[in-house]
Amino acid sequence: MAELSDKAREEFFSEAQEIIETLSRNLLSLDSTIKAGISDPSLINEAFRAVHTLKGLAGLFGAVRLGALSHRLEDVLDDLRLGRINLGQEVLDVLFGAVEAYTRILQAEKSDSDDDLDVDQQLFAELERIGAGATQRESPVADYELDPGLLAVLTEYEEHRLRANIELQMQLYRLRVQFDLSTIDKVLEEMKERAKRHGEIITYLPTGEATSADTIELDLLMASRDDLATLIGSLGADNVVIEEIPRRARRSHPATQPPRRPTALGRADSLGMQPDLERVGIEQAASLRSLTQTVRVDIRKLDHLMNIVGELAIVRSAFGRVAEKLRGEGQRKLAAELQRLHRNFDRRLGEMQDGILEVRMVPLGQVFDRLARVVRQISREVGKEIRLVITGAETEIDKLIVEELSDPLMHMIRNAIDHGIEPGQGRVEVGKPLAGTIALNAFQKGNHVMIEVEDDGRGINLSKLTEKAISLGKLTRSEAEEMSRDEMLALIFLPGLSTRESADDVSGRGVGMDIVKTNISKLGGVIDVHSESGIGTKMTITLPITLAIVSALLIQAGQHTLAMPLSSVSEAIAFDEGAVRLVDGREVITLRGQTLPLCRLDRLMEMESASDSASRRRFVVVAALGQRRLGLVVDFLYGQEDIVIKPLGKSLSGVRGFAGATELGDQRVGLVLDAAGLIEEVLAGGEAPRMLERASG
Amino acid sequence: MANLTQSTASRLARRIGDRGPVREFLMFALAGELYGVELTRIKEILSPPPITTVPRAPRNVVGVCSVRGLLVTVLDLRRTLHVEERPLTRRGRILLGAAESGEVIGLLVDEVRHVVRLAATEIEPAASALGGDVSEFVLGIGRPAGEFLILLDLPSVVSG
Repeated sequence: MAELSDKAREEFFSEAQEIIETLSRNLLSLDSTIKAGISDPSLINEAFRAVHTLKGLAGLFGAVRLGALSHRLEDVLDDLRLGRINLGQEVLDVLFGAVEAYTRILQAEKSDSDDDLDVDQQLFAELERIGAGATQRESPVADYELDPGLLAVLTEYEEHRLRANIELQMQLYRLRVQFDLSTIDKVLEEMKERAKRHGEIITYLPTGEATSADTIELDLLMASRDDLATLIGSLGADNVVIEEIPRRARRSHPATQPPRRPTALGRADSLGMQPDLERVGIEQAASLRSLTQTVRVDIRKLDHLMNIVGELAIVRSAFGRVAEKLRGEGQRKLAAELQRLHRNFDRRLGEMQDGILEVRMVPLGQVFDRLARVVRQISREVGKEIRLVITGAETEIDKLIVEELSDPLMHMIRNAIDHGIEPGQGRVEVGKPLAGTIALNAFQKGNHVMIEVEDDGRGINLSKLTEKAISLGKLTRSEAEEMSRDEMLALIFLPGLSTRESADDVSGRGVGMDIVKTNISKLGGVIDVHSESGIGTKMTITLPITLAIVSALLIQAGQHTLAMPLSSVSEAIAFDEGAVRLVDGREVITLRGQTLPLCRLDRLMEMESASDSASRRRFVVVAALGQRRLGLVVDFLYGQEDIVIKPLGKSLSGVRGFAGATELGDQRVGLVLDAAGLIEEVLAGGEAPRMLERASG
Repeated sequence: MANLTQSTASRLARRIGDRGPVREFLMFALAGELYGVELTRIKEILSPPPITTVPRAPRNVVGVCSVRGLLVTVLDLRRTLHVEERPLTRRGRILLGAAESGEVIGLLVDEVRHVVRLAATEIEPAASALGGDVSEFVLGIGRPAGEFLILLDLPSVVSG
């Protein structure tokens, strides 16, 4: 790649990445429309535009390989949109292959390496092969009462659409519409959108017969399967006149054609190419506008801003203290004034914090799109038909979390396809539809985002799973006999466990679930599994919405001031030493009829006890994540505060129980508890899981 | 006075350039001994801010502190080097350096002295001075003008 400044390179990569993601999304939509038997030309068009833009971009930045691939791909997509090639699964495979190649090339360009060139060659060969299949077709357009002049100004693409629609037995209509010049862009778009329900607007040309200086009259050529009355009902208005374009009675008797009103479509030849150019101008203006409203920002810059906000929050607390001090010294008026400033500052700071957080949030759709590609690829590799149903792709979550999510989710989906979904015949035998369904659901629940990966496969075989765990020496037979269903299911998160005997190239040898769990807990999340034999498996990931700033409960345990993210606190209650019961060596209390395991934080962490701990009133902070709850016994509750969590350094990465540290003001640093880790540690007890159910009462 | 003359003489000698290339070391005191670390390895010298201890941390970790918003893990050099522990005095300082992982680490020392310039001839390599079984932390022994300076390899100290 040519010499560029780092910033320009970054820009180039992120823009190229975005375009490739758009392309991938288009191909996925195409895939599903083909399966549903519909063809949506706008999708091929968008894909074509994406590749075209990428080609331009590659040229601009001297990315030769990217440019070469785009060039070939553009040819194929052009053939596709003009109907010279039929779009089928095989062609789509090659197109998806091109998306993979793009990603690879981008990575290679980033690291300035030149590998995988042979793979490119193979892809090029396939693109060539597809392109060679292109055919020129006989035009059926002549069957219609369309002026040859109109046909002359149609672009090749519009002509193809016209032809395709006629082949689909669509009826052609002419819509004569008066537009207000000031709103034409918007109204025309709306009209196109509404027309989509009935068919497609192929082209539009001005009639040149404006009724006033502020209006313009256009003739729209539309193809639809609906009849005239339906169209008038749906699209008709005072400013819209709809007419059917009649089919010629016979091609060989042009003389029998009925007399027509002169229309713009009929007179298009006299207008030449002018309208077409105008339209291109409008489109370009629209796309330029949307570009200038978007700014790409490095997430580290946002982190930096967030740190500043955190520091400002400390300044804010200092303001509060000064105001208190002034009041104490009798300077009431000054104190009140400062207090007012303090409140104002506080509010603005809150707004700023929210604003920065909002910028960090991205829809989960970003990662879901990638997953959809993976599903398609794997399902074709293993020969299982998979229907992927995505809901809640618009759910927003911190950009950093999204980045870290794609690998774990990919593992889970791979497992679901490979281990969960039965092979086609097996499904039919048990009365399930041939195509397996994988549902990817996301939704927000309070301060958390839940992501479910659900399949309608055979479910997890618990006896096989426990046998495997026993044979690997992860637990003894007597322990296994005492385990509850949920505990058995949780075995899949142990390293090295797989219920399938053979390793294969999709999920490998049970690789993943332990790593998945580790990765999810690094993000402060938990994963729960639910499975019914023969019905399916559902994995639920619970994640915090953002990592950047969290509301936390400040507590005292021993000599330590600690922060506990509020998202994992369900409540805090006064601790009654007398209510503690000892079950199997573990302390529990009963909270609203349910057993709550306890953990004395100072003992667990081997911290020095507070000097007056025996006499003081203590508290239980109930930590809850997913289904699991744990009561942490602490010495004091300070209250709630917004904190910026900073990760502990690598030299402390082996220390369990802490998610990081945060500044508390007056230069002090407080440790932030890792609720997920603590719950895990205490409830698992570092030994065989026990049945807490037995402990109740 | 004799010392002073001697070091002036050696400084002069160095300026004349007859002793090969010189390296700059920051000299500091710890448990009665003098140590040196290469100056280029040190990012900053700090008066210790409040340090928060971290339960369950390795024994040589004092805790964490914040340096203008940056979270820094502080190591007690006394514990790393297995020398007698003693509470810090007001002369105690933290040397900031980078570990091999890139992480910024603080190193707690008793007192920072000054910078010494050592020529290759004034440095005894660890192996020849102390025999084979020497901790990887020690680069060698520096002998500027009759003094005895234990030279430490900062990256391996803060990574260890």
